[in-house]
Amino acid sequence: MKKDEMTYENAMKRLEEIVDKVENGQMDIDSLSATLKEAQELVAFCRDKLTKVDAEIKKILEN
Amino acid sequence: MTKALTLLELNDMVSAVFEQSFTHAYWVSAEVSEVRESRGHCYMEFVQKDEFSNSLVAKARATVWKSKWMILRPYFENTTGQPLAAGMMLLVKVKLLFHPLYGYSLNVEDIDPTFTLGDIAKRRKEIIRKLKEEGIDQMNKGLELPRLLQRVAVISSDTAAGYGDFCNQLNANEKGLVFYTRLFPAVMQGDGVEASVIAALDAIMDDALEWDVVVIIRGGGSVSDLSGFDTLALAEHVAQFPLPVVTGIGHERDDTVIDMVAHTRVKTPTAAAELLIHHQEAELTLVESISERITGCVGLRLAEEINRLNMIVGRMPSIYSLFHQRQLNRLVQITNLIHRGINSRLQTDKNKIELLAARFPLQVNALMQAEQHRLKLISLRLKAVDPVNVLRRGYSITQVGGKLLRNVSQLKKGDEIVTILADGKVVSSVTELEQNNKKQEI
Repeated sequence: MKKDEMTYENAMKRLEEIVDKVENGQMDIDSLSATLKEAQELVAFCRDKLTKVDAEIKKILEN
Repeated sequence: MTKALTLLELNDMVSAVFEQSFTHAYWVSAEVSEVRESRGHCYMEFVQKDEFSNSLVAKARATVWKSKWMILRPYFENTTGQPLAAGMMLLVKVKLLFHPLYGYSLNVEDIDPTFTLGDIAKRRKEIIRKLKEEGIDQMNKGLELPRLLQRVAVISSDTAAGYGDFCNQLNANEKGLVFYTRLFPAVMQGDGVEASVIAALDAIMDDALEWDVVVIIRGGGSVSDLSGFDTLALAEHVAQFPLPVVTGIGHERDDTVIDMVAHTRVKTPTAAAELLIHHQEAELTLVESISERITGCVGLRLAEEINRLNMIVGRMPSIYSLFHQRQLNRLVQITNLIHRGINSRLQTDKNKIELLAARFPLQVNALMQAEQHRLKLISLRLKAVDPVNVLRRGYSITQVGGKLLRNVSQLKKGDEIVTILADGKVVSSVTELEQNNKKQEI
């Protein structure tokens, strides 16, 4: 998923996929760190969406 | 000629007939078309419309005198949750009156608010029935709330504190959740509600993709005329709106039609803000829990892998020790062999040494004499080359800076040189240097 195409809904979908995969033990050890890194990036993205003000959106919507 | 009556005489006659004919009070149902309060009295106009054409078929003025109105008004408002307003159906107990100057009018002695309540409910039901017929009554409820519920289009009055309270409440949430809000002003009571709320919805519709949710709120706890929220046109707009609509109109009693068709209905603007905050809080919690689950699982998986490795490593010594034991056995065999070999060799040598030792004294003597002779010869030869002997013969050694002087080129004018003779040394300084074949003045 490219960063600029990422939406919150898509990021959450991907995270849920990862959780499923990880919890069902379908993850090989070689992709472990890559998966973890991806998950951490997605989590940060989602957390930021929820808790950080996007100045651009603010400008467009509140004025 | 018959004497003409004065108008007053005529009206007095009518008045007398009224008083004689209508001695009782009557319960009458009628629609209120106008309400006006003045000096504590309430003046209304009652009408009746034709069921089909909607045109007026009857009309009468009515008055509730201050003494009655003081009691009836709170009773009505407490029961219906709304003030008496134009458009309502009333069941009133009236006395008929004919005043020579003001004509026919009704004196209201009592009002039955449950009739009005029933009528409002009936009208709402009727609107809902129509929406059901159109198949749209559940449309807004069918919309899924987006996971990210941040961009909030607010329809409210721009004068009431409701919008400000709502925004403060939203932004003061504990988790630091972000919301974006904009007010789309509208009239929130009385006749203007329908048109202005629809206009606000249309304005939001123009940028529907920019918003996640519409919130319709009305601040303040005072009783007000909410009949404007009970119209078919407004209900149709709300029901079919492409974004979820949350209402917080602050109605005490029961739901207005738009409460019924909106996605979610809450009682107050504060509750609307709480709803959005809870939704986003749940989302944040979900993100954090997914994060923990993934990290936990990856950690477990890693621990599993480390265990596997440890088990493999743990089995290695046993494989190795077998090999080791074999090697060890071989080593022991070899060592034994070596020991045996050494022992026999030692025995042979010991015998030899014993034999030699017996011959030792004789041989040592002869050896010593030969060595002494050799030493004497060497010392004589050494004496001949001792530098002291050379110096005694008239040679000397010259040093410069503690080093042996071999070439003129080692020197420069003014250098101090030391000449060593057999019986002492001379220190002198260089005044002239001359190399073979070239003279150098410095």
